[in-house]
Amino acid sequence: MDYTLLKLFLGVVFTLLLYSVLYRENKAYRFAEHVFLGLAAGYTLVVVWRDILYVQWWQKMMGTVADGAAPAMPGYWVYAILLPIGLMGYTIFSKKNNWMSRIPIGIILGLWSGQQIQVWWNTYGPQILNSMRPVIPTTWESITRPITYTRGEGGIKVNLAPERVAEIQSNLYFTQALSNFIFVLTVVAAFSYFLFSFDLRGKFLNKFNTFGRWMLMIGFGAIFGSTVMARFALVIDRMSFIWQEFFGRLLTR
Amino acid sequence: MNWSKLQNVDRRVLYVILLVATSLGLFLPSRIPNDPEPAAKDLYALLMQLPEDKPVIIQSDWTNSTRGETMGHLEALCRILMSRRIKFVIYATADAQAGQVALNVIRQINEERKKAGLVTYREGVDYIYLGVFPNAEGAGQNMRNDIRKAWGTRQTKVDGQAGRVPVFDTAVLRNMRSVSDASLMVVITASATIDVAVQRLSDKVTMACMSTGVVAPSLLPFYQAGQLKGFAGGLRGAYDMEYMMAHGINYSPTPGQEPKVTAEKFGEIPPVPEGKSFERAARYFGTLHIALTLLILAVVMGNVGMFVAKKKAKGGNN
Amino acid sequence: MIELLAQAPPPPSFWNRPPYSPELYVMVIGTIILGLALFFGLTYAPTRLKRPIVMTFTFLSGLFYVLLWLVPTPLKPKEPGELPLNPVDAAGIWFSDALPRVADVAQILSAFLLGLGIFSLLTIHIRKINRKQTDWGFSIVLLVSMVLMLGFGYADWIMKEFRDPLGLLQDSSNWTFVNQMSDLLFDGILQQMDAAMFSLIAFYILSAAYRAFRVRSVESTVLMASALILMLSLMGGVAYAWGQGIDALVIGTGNEFLNNLKITEVANWLRTNMQAPAIRAIEFGVGLGALAMGIRIWLGLERGGVSA
Repeated sequence: MDYTLLKLFLGVVFTLLLYSVLYRENKAYRFAEHVFLGLAAGYTLVVVWRDILYVQWWQKMMGTVADGAAPAMPGYWVYAILLPIGLMGYTIFSKKNNWMSRIPIGIILGLWSGQQIQVWWNTYGPQILNSMRPVIPTTWESITRPITYTRGEGGIKVNLAPERVAEIQSNLYFTQALSNFIFVLTVVAAFSYFLFSFDLRGKFLNKFNTFGRWMLMIGFGAIFGSTVMARFALVIDRMSFIWQEFFGRLLTR
Repeated sequence: MNWSKLQNVDRRVLYVILLVATSLGLFLPSRIPNDPEPAAKDLYALLMQLPEDKPVIIQSDWTNSTRGETMGHLEALCRILMSRRIKFVIYATADAQAGQVALNVIRQINEERKKAGLVTYREGVDYIYLGVFPNAEGAGQNMRNDIRKAWGTRQTKVDGQAGRVPVFDTAVLRNMRSVSDASLMVVITASATIDVAVQRLSDKVTMACMSTGVVAPSLLPFYQAGQLKGFAGGLRGAYDMEYMMAHGINYSPTPGQEPKVTAEKFGEIPPVPEGKSFERAARYFGTLHIALTLLILAVVMGNVGMFVAKKKAKGGNN
Repeated sequence: MIELLAQAPPPPSFWNRPPYSPELYVMVIGTIILGLALFFGLTYAPTRLKRPIVMTFTFLSGLFYVLLWLVPTPLKPKEPGELPLNPVDAAGIWFSDALPRVADVAQILSAFLLGLGIFSLLTIHIRKINRKQTDWGFSIVLLVSMVLMLGFGYADWIMKEFRDPLGLLQDSSNWTFVNQMSDLLFDGILQQMDAAMFSLIAFYILSAAYRAFRVRSVESTVLMASALILMLSLMGGVAYAWGQGIDALVIGTGNEFLNNLKITEVANWLRTNMQAPAIRAIEFGVGLGALAMGIRIWLGLERGGVSA
């Protein structure tokens, strides 16, 4: 058996072991589950040094010797202080000193929270601006946006003159304005449902809130549909792995 | 039909149906006609119009757990860039396994190109792998601030040369002074790392995204507000890319023929000049139709069953 | 400030020493000893000081990014020897120089803390084996898999990083047994199981959709309709065939308005004008929450957070 085939074979076996849980909880599944956990933990420990600490910490602290075209880099000894601070995290297992484990976590959280103001504006600034949409039509020559082509022989599309196309594209027609209005209404209603989570007085506000909840459901519907696609894609990929990659290779060997 | 019996069917029957349907689906014809999503058209047009002399930044944040979708994305992206000889730099944030998985894809596409007699991409010459940056926030902030400092300590092997070279001494990154010197940054992700990237970099560099179906809905606001210039979401997005790689946009191989893909806002965008187009996503897309139909049927039958049962209960009361 | 130019080696200073030199070792070990002294000193901290100590660390860490945001960034990087224009410019340069170091801190500390999870996983399973609790055999399986991955993973790394100056191991045909084992465990087993684990959810979604996705209220009806239209539009083939039918109808009747009935058009309109703004509102709400939470953590106001 060649190496690639063995690799595919093991992949198929462990996939099937995991799938056996669909029938019911069983020992084979539990075995595979523990192999999975063990490998994942082992791999994390490899990566923590290989891709993170070695590159980001060790090489900066100890420097690098000249190698090929790369000149020697001096080491910055201050990086060493991070080791004791990191070790403080492990006091979490001590009854008396577990408060110290909050120091490294506090530093990480502090660094995260300090970024939030800038992050907030960069994320939502453009979106707030984009939500301000024109809701009054600029022209009444037509209710809907005219098409930018005519039909030639046999239904083939022939584009209108570029000036006319530009004119159509620069105008806001009634149906477009209406769409924009619905857009703005949806944003405001759904957001208000978040904002006014307390008891509301007044019929209008209550109705508006209910409307907001419906709009949220439209959003959740889209999220659901898209998530379903994602999960099915994974099953399809598993089946392709078993039937096409593994059996394909087995049969053409 | 006995609806109440159907209401109580064992879940394992449903599982078997799904397994059989997704298996059989793989053997159906796979070139399904399609009208790509507007966001995917934007992404394809953007990629095909990139200048050849500037590098593309790829942030690859997925592992094999979402292979069904994101592997198709990275494959399509690599095929497009390689066919246009655009250099790229690739790295991963957050997930430690992501870097290795991305490298595997590059290796496999290189092998595929070698077989087809096409130019292969060489490490340190045509592309650079920077490794993993465990903290996505910090990495993004550093890149925004000063890319030379953010990546300055990283070194790369150069194909055919002994030893390692600082990444900015290579042909890929030599002319890069700031992140804005990249022609495009594409984030391929299965998690919220796209939010982190948009927050820190979308006002500095043209940004696009390829994501799983789970992440895709959250990209819509970014796309509408212009923070993302285009995106491909999920398996559908991957198939959209492959479809346009084969057919282009507003492009007809013979004059007078209607183009397969049209879009008002672009001129003619050709298909990829060389290499494969239909691949992984095309293999899966037909099966996705079957699976989604199955789900819709399940919902419909569940509801019809409920109504029938309700009607019966009412009738019983009378 | 610690200077570290990207390419040319930086000039010697108080902060750096030649790589792997004896002086560097002395400085590094000295720093670690100093840090450990701080560590043990803190164990004697009186109870009333514990909270302020943690809060100070948190506040100072957050303050850096807040100041970075407030102080104007220099317009262009300075050439060597070029002096700052004024104190504000100098501060801007200082902050932009310091940023990569500070960002390093978060990355390195997160990496050190990653070990915590592994450590507690290990203690649980070793205890299970020692006490021969139910299913302790599985704990052995877990430990063996972990040790195998660890051993072959590091051996593979050492071979590729230090023993392979020509990069021959990039090509899988040159692999030795060690490289193959590392690849087998990671790419052959771990990655495939990762995919299989996540794909299990699809089965549960199908079963749940059949049993529980019912039209019972306005909300569930709206949700279902929205999901249905989206799923139909995801089926490119269905949408395309429908579109062809509409095209034929348009040409037959000459009424271009019918084009709006294509699934792609309907789904697009719905996505652009209702789904996207709804998602935007959801994210906007979440974003406001994160902002408030960030400010509360930074200022030590969050109960149950770092300050509790």
